[in-house]
Amino acid sequence: MNSVAAKEINAVLAITAREITKAVKSPVLLIVSIIFPVIFIGLMGGSLSQNMAGNLGFNYLQFVMIGMIVNNMFTGTVAGMSALIEERDKNLTQELYVSPISRYSIILGKMIGSSFTSLVGLLGILLVSLAMRIPLGGMHIVWLFLTTPLYCLVGASLGIFFIGFVQDSKAADVGSMLIVMPQMFLSGAIIPIFHSTGILGFLAHLMPMTYAIDLARAVFYKGTPVYNQVVLYNPWLDLLVMAGFFLVFSIIGTIMFTRSERNR
Amino acid sequence: MDSIIRVNDLVKRYKKSERPAVDGISFDVKEGEFFAFLGPNGAGKTTTISILTTTLAMTGGSVEIAGYDLEKEAKQVRRQVGIIFQNPSLDLELTAEENIRLHVSIYGLYGYRPFYRMMPAAYKRRIEELAEIVGIHDNLFKRVKTFSGGMKRKLEIIRSLMHKPKILFLDEPTQGLDASARRSLWDYLQKVRKEENITIFLTTHYLDEAEGADRVCMIHRGKVALLGTPEEIKTRLLGEKFMLLDAEDRQGLKAELSALQVPYTETDEHLKVIYRERTPQRLLSGLTVPLKKLDVHQPTLEEAYLNLVEKGEDAR
Repeated sequence: MNSVAAKEINAVLAITAREITKAVKSPVLLIVSIIFPVIFIGLMGGSLSQNMAGNLGFNYLQFVMIGMIVNNMFTGTVAGMSALIEERDKNLTQELYVSPISRYSIILGKMIGSSFTSLVGLLGILLVSLAMRIPLGGMHIVWLFLTTPLYCLVGASLGIFFIGFVQDSKAADVGSMLIVMPQMFLSGAIIPIFHSTGILGFLAHLMPMTYAIDLARAVFYKGTPVYNQVVLYNPWLDLLVMAGFFLVFSIIGTIMFTRSERNR
Repeated sequence: MDSIIRVNDLVKRYKKSERPAVDGISFDVKEGEFFAFLGPNGAGKTTTISILTTTLAMTGGSVEIAGYDLEKEAKQVRRQVGIIFQNPSLDLELTAEENIRLHVSIYGLYGYRPFYRMMPAAYKRRIEELAEIVGIHDNLFKRVKTFSGGMKRKLEIIRSLMHKPKILFLDEPTQGLDASARRSLWDYLQKVRKEENITIFLTTHYLDEAEGADRVCMIHRGKVALLGTPEEIKTRLLGEKFMLLDAEDRQGLKAELSALQVPYTETDEHLKVIYRERTPQRLLSGLTVPLKKLDVHQPTLEEAYLNLVEKGEDAR
């Protein structure tokens, strides 16, 4: 391989494969990918559906299923990127940082690898949804699945932005939970936010997951009668905001992270 | 021989630290040399090696490695060096071969392939050849988490040599290994050094490991305390080389030593003879009295090192 670009692409591919291989060899990932949907769609979504969602005018469980798909992508990728801190503390990534490749390639490889492992979680959501007889919408779910890499990349960029400002692995573990949990409740993953106002409405607008979930629902409900009841914004606006978040988070996060690596 | 590493007035001051961890050190390492970097804990060894391997930014000074400026041409520098870290930097869940495949792929030596059987023949040859040298051939396809400390080190050696570096940095490579694993690792390293013709830069606080170095740099409190061959350092630090002698005819022995103008001191057990310039052999050849005791004291690097550390403590 001679060209610089080819070497960088090869490195990204290798780092991505490393993440996937590690995930495949870890049974914990598969177990978690089943448990999370059972808790959030089965228990929480099921209970809310039975007791509070009677007059919404759309299938609430289907609404939650889409929210949880995006939330699952975000949780997986943010956690995957936060693991960089732990890997650094345990000296697992020194090898990468002394290699002759761009720091952006390392981060991008890690992002794509974490995204793939997050996609494993989709399997659990599908199984739980089938068990609960939630309508999957035929081709609509296929279109939705095709857009999942976008949600993964935004989630991963949020993760790298976060670890750009964090130095130790404990703070990274707790912090990654803290930046995903509020988004799960405020961005419309489980609870509709059409009527969110004041500070909660303001926070919802600040959260990248709000736009990712809205885009996912726009894709899933396109052409259905309930579209206007479940989608907040124009999907192109969602896409634009997501692209902005991705670029800003990735660039600032990578610069901050690599700087904190060398400038101690 | 040309210098392959040039360090000039290197300074590193950590954030929130009152004094520099590395305080204006300068040295150079010749191509093909085995260079040992010694010092007690906290002397600045790991800081220096971290800077030389581009993982830590320097505060001041300049470093050139294989003709490349460390700050401006870090990527080129990384291509020229192999590193064995103080703590193994391996993916424990992956197999040994998978760890190596990741390495060669990120170094751009071969295109990444998801399976070993899909990798090019040249890669397979190189990995087999190195695995044979370090003796982990039978474990290449086992997960690293099943490896002993010594095997992990050997795997790191293979990995660090895959891209044929000009310089191999070893940061306390035998830390945590038992005596037998240390010895066997050094045997492998010397073998590899001969076969691959590479420069070795070693940091260690096992003094016996540095005895075999071409040159030793002793660092203390962030400054270069001594630099030279192990023999030069021993001579400069210890100065005194002596033998312990005794004979049934001690009076005769004393008379001969006096005739040879060799200074000595006497105790009940023996005569202590300082031999400074003369070699023990030359000195002994001048004696005719049969000896009943002969103990030639060879100073070790360890003594020199302890001497240095003690002097440093006294000066505080």
